[in-house]
Amino acid sequence: MSAGSLAGGPALPGADTADGDARLGRFAGPAWDLRTYDPLVTAFGPLPVVVWVFTTRDLLTPALVGLAALLVILLLVRPPARVVGVLLLGLPVLAALMTVSFGVLTDPRAVDGTVLLATVGPFELWSGALATGLATSLRTCALLLLVLVGGLSTTGQDVVRAMVQQLRVPYRVGYAALAALRFVPRFGHELEVIRAAHRVRGVDHGRGPLAGARRRLGYAVPLLAGGIRHGERVSLAMEARGFGAHATRTERVVVPFRVRDVAFLLATWGGAAAIALVVVAALTG
Amino acid sequence: MTGDETPAGASPDVPALAVRDVSVRYHVHDDDPGAAPAAPAPDGVTFEVRPGEAVLFLGPSGCGKSTLALATNGLVPHVVGADLAGRVLVRGRSTADHAPPELSRDVAMVFQDPDAQVVTGTLLDEVCFGPENLLLPVDVVLARAEDALRRVGLWERRDDDPAVLSGGGRQRLAIACALALGSPLLVLDEPTANLDPAGTEEVYAVLRDVVGRGDRAVLLVEHDLDAAVSLVDRVVVLDGAGRLVLDGPARDVLAGHADELAALGVWLPTATLAALRLRDAGVLLDPVPLTPAELAAALDAAPHLPDPRPAAPRPTAPHPTGTASLRPDPLPVGARGTALPRDEGRGAVPSAPAAPVLVVDRVTFRRGRGRDATPVLRDVSVAVGAGELVAVVGANGAGKTTLAQLAAGVLRPRRGTLDGRLAVAGLDPTRADPRELARHVGFVFQNPEHQLVTSRVDDELALGLRLLGAPEEEVAERVEDVLRRFGLAHLRDRHPFLLSGGQKRRLSVGTAIVCRPDVLVLDEPTYGQDRERAAELLDLLTALHREGTAVVVVSHDMQLVAEHATRVVALADGSVVADGAPADVLADEDVLHAAGLRTPPLARATRGLAHPAWRRVARLADLPVAARAEVPA
Repeated sequence: MSAGSLAGGPALPGADTADGDARLGRFAGPAWDLRTYDPLVTAFGPLPVVVWVFTTRDLLTPALVGLAALLVILLLVRPPARVVGVLLLGLPVLAALMTVSFGVLTDPRAVDGTVLLATVGPFELWSGALATGLATSLRTCALLLLVLVGGLSTTGQDVVRAMVQQLRVPYRVGYAALAALRFVPRFGHELEVIRAAHRVRGVDHGRGPLAGARRRLGYAVPLLAGGIRHGERVSLAMEARGFGAHATRTERVVVPFRVRDVAFLLATWGGAAAIALVVVAALTG
Repeated sequence: MTGDETPAGASPDVPALAVRDVSVRYHVHDDDPGAAPAAPAPDGVTFEVRPGEAVLFLGPSGCGKSTLALATNGLVPHVVGADLAGRVLVRGRSTADHAPPELSRDVAMVFQDPDAQVVTGTLLDEVCFGPENLLLPVDVVLARAEDALRRVGLWERRDDDPAVLSGGGRQRLAIACALALGSPLLVLDEPTANLDPAGTEEVYAVLRDVVGRGDRAVLLVEHDLDAAVSLVDRVVVLDGAGRLVLDGPARDVLAGHADELAALGVWLPTATLAALRLRDAGVLLDPVPLTPAELAAALDAAPHLPDPRPAAPRPTAPHPTGTASLRPDPLPVGARGTALPRDEGRGAVPSAPAAPVLVVDRVTFRRGRGRDATPVLRDVSVAVGAGELVAVVGANGAGKTTLAQLAAGVLRPRRGTLDGRLAVAGLDPTRADPRELARHVGFVFQNPEHQLVTSRVDDELALGLRLLGAPEEEVAERVEDVLRRFGLAHLRDRHPFLLSGGQKRRLSVGTAIVCRPDVLVLDEPTYGQDRERAAELLDLLTALHREGTAVVVVSHDMQLVAEHATRVVALADGSVVADGAPADVLADEDVLHAAGLRTPPLARATRGLAHPAWRRVARLADLPVAARAEVPA
């Protein structure tokens, strides 16, 4: 959901419709655009499939599920070219890397009776281990793609809206979560600066796990102090803007739950069931 | 826009804000420097803000200005723990009986930190956030959002993420959010303290429009009086103990009581400070000027002007190799405690160029990889000699911090991202062992907390020395020396994080100089600090560079730079656009504008004067002084 900035929001014409008819908001649009769907459906609909893929051990299931998720992303989300590039080029590279490294890490005793493919120093790569690595890697990629269906088609703001409107989550909780999400990149940047600052002081905690723990503790104090102060300031700013004045807030953008959302859910679960029961069965005979 | 835009109930009889005998005592608050925990600040303050009025709220640091600002909508005491005595009434409603969110209809607030006021992911969502909280109908929410965004000039960017805006842009957004609440009173707590000059200008253009329309009262807490003074109708002044001392029309207070204010430690507009100095030198300016334009008019109208201080002749051409100014200061050091800058920071004296201790030679540095790589620095060459105080100036994003971090070895570039050569005290800062480098270069980060690593003030100072293997007696002696010089001796056993903001800043500078580095680099040391503490720090740096340390300061506070630097290097878009004596660089309007900077106030007043010798006056120290130092005209 932190992919909100990735999704980048609708282009200007879409925003103009938002001004024209606020109640339809950014969810107005053709059914082939996944961005017009209920964010809860796109973000959480695939979760049962995620859980199921997680339990599989074969190659075919995650490959097919991943492919289906990729098709949904490419056809219904149509992310910017840069993201498409990462998906089509980066993902196979990642898969290959994970295959080899998971393969090396697999216990060779578990794959007795397969062929030794290569030996580099203390590491041995067995063909059976490679197959296990490939399965793990495919599973990881499939999970990633399933999550990206929601991540690339909605924003954190809209997920919070939908949770408040449809799941009756108190809006304070929703906005607290949103504020927490905005903290993440800030924390990362802050940590980088603190690391550099400690290096400049010439502080070297040495090597080893104990020194590592001490180092992290050294970063934690300034990081926490900064985080708490920032959090306090944000909450002052929110209260000064009337946050919490009433039991409810105006919902400027109403998140609809429509036929297309039901269709998406049924298609997601049906597609997964079909892959599991029909396609895989047919292909593996 | 719509009828809703006029704040409801702005009747002239009920004050927008009435503060009645208000005292605030914090429970425990370590962030409020200068406020003694036992004494209340503010202390028994009474004043009013009437509808449509613009009021500037002044006082030395620690007097409780920000506390009182937070009390106007009940954040003090409802959210920030404190005891509040007296009554704060907004449109007749007491803040004691209403929580801050309920009062947001009556009081809107803009805070100092632009980063800490963003809640949502787009500008439009952000501006709608307030009205949505107030349960206004959707079409009213949108109408207000559009009007507010148009007023601050951000409507076209409504679908952008606030994070991509500049600091000035985000502060304008915060003002739009406050306007969208539709409240008759707008309270701004140091809204430009974290901005560069261009951002400050943007914010003031917006504020000028808000005040000009007259539909909202404005209460402004601000230390940058040069920007604020032309905007406000009335000035309210607190003294160091948080008691109200003056309340009246801006000109009466600032011009009529200038001496009192200076004695209180309240910063005055640069033009007024200049007038005070000139009066001591026998030049009476009437009326006392508040703005550079008024100062210029008054100077041109003066029947007789003595020559400006025959300051040491300045190098007239940029000198990329750098010059050393090791000349000891012949002037007695002025008494502390006044806001008037002392007689120091005289012009750099050209002398035999010393071998530079910091060399940046044709450095180009890129961020990112491959085709995405963007140059942050382009062919930058700078050399700094021992004893110089070099100010690196430029707008946010010009590459100042990158340059400083590269030079001090904070930023270690990846292979292939850096062309050119860097040298500090003969070491290559991009490769040298961090400990070896720490012996020669000190670096002070924007936020002092980042570099505090121990749990006691004296350990913090001793750390660098111990790492260098100094004998314990020497460590103790040097730590003692720094504790004393920086006024931290009574705090030696405190946890560094429990110090006040100004103390933390002094400690971080102390840790950087305790090893007596050849070069001291400071990144925006005045960022987010009030004028007084900024001046105190710059005084400290002036003393250091006089002792022979090369000091490099990244800053965009132009008047401070003008007063203290011996040389100014201006960066724009990663390139050096000027390198020379402050008077030369700061007088070049085109260069400053290209660099996103603005001429400091005094130079703005003097550059068009009839008297040619006066056109180069950019520093208060250049003004003629009382007869003892005067050269007969």
